[in-house]
Amino acid sequence: MEIPNIFKGDYRRLAILPLILILLSLYFIFVIQIKLGVDFQGGTLVTLALSEAVDSATLKADLAQEGLDADVRVYQTTSGYKAEIDVPQSQSLVEADSLKSDFNKLLPGVSTLEVAALQNGSRMSEYLVKRAELENISDQMFALANVSREDFNISGVIEEQKAFSSSYKKVYDDYQVFVSSPIQKHVKYDSISIQTVSPLLSTHFISQAIGVVALSAILSTAFVFLFFRTAVPSAAVLTGALSDVVIALGAMGAFGIPLTLPSFAALLMLIGFSLDTDILLTMRLLKRKGDNREKAFDAMKTGLTMSVMAMVAFGALFLLALLTHIPTYYEISAVALAGLVGDMFATWGIDAVMLLWYVERREGNGSAQ
Amino acid sequence: MDLLSDKKFLAMALLFVLFILGIAFFPSGAGMLLILSLILFGSLSLLWKERNIKLAGLAFLVLLALANIGLNGLKYGIDFNGGTRIPVLLERPATSDEMTELVSAVKTRVSVLGLTEAKVRAIGDSQINVEVPSSDENTIKFIEDTLGHQGVYQGIISGHVAVSGEDIYSTSIAPLGTQELARSGADWGVSFQVNRHGAEQFAAVGKGKADYPVYMFLDRPADASLFISRSELRQNMPNDATEKESLKALSDALELDSDRNITVYIIEDLNGSVPAPKTNKTKALVFGNASESFKSSLNSSGYVLKEFSSFAVTPSYNRTRAGVLVVSELESIGLMSAPLLSAGLATGTPNYGFSVTGSSPGTGASKYAQATAAERRIESILKGGSLPVQISLGSRTTLPATLGQEFLRLSLIGVAGSLLAISLLIGLRYRHLKATLPIVAISISELIILLSILGSFTIDLAAMAGIIAAIGVGVDAQIVITDELLKKNDEETEERIGHAFDIIKTNVIVATLSMIPLLFSGLVEIIGFAISTILGALLGYLLSRPAYASMVGMILGKEEADKEGAKKDG
Repeated sequence: MEIPNIFKGDYRRLAILPLILILLSLYFIFVIQIKLGVDFQGGTLVTLALSEAVDSATLKADLAQEGLDADVRVYQTTSGYKAEIDVPQSQSLVEADSLKSDFNKLLPGVSTLEVAALQNGSRMSEYLVKRAELENISDQMFALANVSREDFNISGVIEEQKAFSSSYKKVYDDYQVFVSSPIQKHVKYDSISIQTVSPLLSTHFISQAIGVVALSAILSTAFVFLFFRTAVPSAAVLTGALSDVVIALGAMGAFGIPLTLPSFAALLMLIGFSLDTDILLTMRLLKRKGDNREKAFDAMKTGLTMSVMAMVAFGALFLLALLTHIPTYYEISAVALAGLVGDMFATWGIDAVMLLWYVERREGNGSAQ
Repeated sequence: MDLLSDKKFLAMALLFVLFILGIAFFPSGAGMLLILSLILFGSLSLLWKERNIKLAGLAFLVLLALANIGLNGLKYGIDFNGGTRIPVLLERPATSDEMTELVSAVKTRVSVLGLTEAKVRAIGDSQINVEVPSSDENTIKFIEDTLGHQGVYQGIISGHVAVSGEDIYSTSIAPLGTQELARSGADWGVSFQVNRHGAEQFAAVGKGKADYPVYMFLDRPADASLFISRSELRQNMPNDATEKESLKALSDALELDSDRNITVYIIEDLNGSVPAPKTNKTKALVFGNASESFKSSLNSSGYVLKEFSSFAVTPSYNRTRAGVLVVSELESIGLMSAPLLSAGLATGTPNYGFSVTGSSPGTGASKYAQATAAERRIESILKGGSLPVQISLGSRTTLPATLGQEFLRLSLIGVAGSLLAISLLIGLRYRHLKATLPIVAISISELIILLSILGSFTIDLAAMAGIIAAIGVGVDAQIVITDELLKKNDEETEERIGHAFDIIKTNVIVATLSMIPLLFSGLVEIIGFAISTILGALLGYLLSRPAYASMVGMILGKEEADKEGAKKDG
């Protein structure tokens, strides 16, 4: 199939569409905002396998009546129905986790002081102050767990710790019951999966993810600069890749694809993939002889073939996700597809325009035909 | 065939045979072996220019991958196999050292149940997931009990509990510093502090018991009898000890006040008549290899039979300074260690701080390693188990096997479908059968190798998504080469191939660099995706070299190819 060379004529107008897309994406990212999935936001995701359909709105209302404020989605899959119930992070779990971390910080010191006090009565006043602090923390935990200090036989720090641990566990267990009992009451399911991401864990995921993104960005940027050793082409390549990620993020905002660990992995892969096409273009343009616009167009043909192949693979995954409603499949494939479309615009509309402008100016024939 | 007289080919064939043997005899290392073979054959085909050799390398790789699938099968995660996931929550965030220890401890606990297929992995620094390919309620309950079990520590001096775990401040258990060690003259030591109850109890029990052993027990059975054969008893007995002396040492170690004594019986002396159990819950601790008739007579007498390995029923011995024979270790009854009581602690005055010290054999690094190991062991015994951080169990998830199999079936259809669609599109794009065939062949080889490598670890949802993606991304390298080769200009083939590989090489580096931080992030849910994307890119690069060798021939005609292929690298 013959496509006319889009780089003939005033190629600068090619940047218009990508720029509009980027602006739109920024709107979706910052105004509409990307939904955080259970991995990053914490909370509980209950997945039910059902043999018969349930109405999601009715179920949501039923659960709300029991005090469980949750999002309900029902899908039909190749093997019966499937319901996903999204329960937001519980405030008491967040508090319990923070109390636990405070308690653990204080514990060793109070233990040492208690022994000193027992041994020879030294540092007694310091011990009493710290012990009271510790008791204050456990009292808050007891309140969360709906138990009272009198329920335990507490004399020293060792019993204090035991009581604290069992109350913490009770907070968690109560929460599980709080989530699962209304569901058990209102739905007849074949199997249930309850995935709780604790506040501690979601914070950990976020910090890990930020670390990974930072490292990955630094490594890729450093490599691009080392490889091309000139400012403009490197900047053009990185602009192309960045625009691509922005468009992918925009699509996540627009289509409500949540940011989860799988979609995060897909975004990371997009950095690599979009750099691939950008580098292909840059190497063809800078390191070969011949007419610049022909070279750019040739590179585009190769690059588009690559993109189409990747789209086919992710398209297959997307279809699979529609059939099975496996969230991992859906999140990876939807983000990747959006990013691949974005990559076409970003590479051939932004990176290519910047590079052509750079090469033609360098060669001193910057005239647009 | 002149291949058979080619030294390079023979070397490759030899490597191939070695790898096959490795895969067949070390199934647990098959994945790593495959990656190694990939790198090895890949570098050889870089080094050796002959087309035949390059193609042979590729063929060997594919055969290895197939052999691995045939011999060891593919391992799937519980999403595809069905099974149960049990989250283990940690009391506090663990350091990476503690996490490694925890994961291996949890693995040991689960594998005791014979569930070798169980997967244990750290999720962040405060959770561990245990996945077992079973949804049988009894099995899962049993695993949960085993996992959640918190051990009970008891220190016993001449038949009386001197110190128990619930009197010890858990945060006070710590290795001794170098200065304290130097002062006490020991190689290692662990200190801990107890509360008033512990201090007073120890003072009362330990009074006048200097040089007596403190038997440190973990989960000592309260109601049990030990049945041991004479040969087992004599086996580890010191040369200078008599049978009577060692039997006395053994019953000393098993002594405990009121009716918690554990009685020792020599099987041969029973003459077939088994003593009646104390209660209907009395455990009979016995070496698993004891005769079946004896075990069944224990059973019929009303014992609860508990079988152990030979090691666990054979005591280790030590002597006190006064020369008294002491049993220092006997796993079947939970006797972990028996340090001797120092004179300072036997005065009868309450003490709040204690330390267990010891010496370790050897010199230099090995001495240090042994001392550290001993320290760790005592620490974990005092903490009531092998876990450095306390755990609790979260709510489990059960995935039905039928649903998983349906997912797997559909996913494999997806893999095949995407391969088919890409092949068709490549055909349409180039309308050149001889250019299309090698591309498709390479894609299939890539897929086989990728499945085989990932399948020797575990294919979970993320890895499956990565495999499907890799089919689309892995073909990129072939497209770049083909486009260069089919271009109508006057460049030499050599030059074109050089251009193509420059681009491909850079792409692989970029793809790897952007994904590699994920590999070391500990975000295990998506590591499978990272691995398959990186491997996919790498395979595209490594395998397209040999593929190019054949493509040059097909696309540019036999003649030129012979000329080109013989003189250059891909």
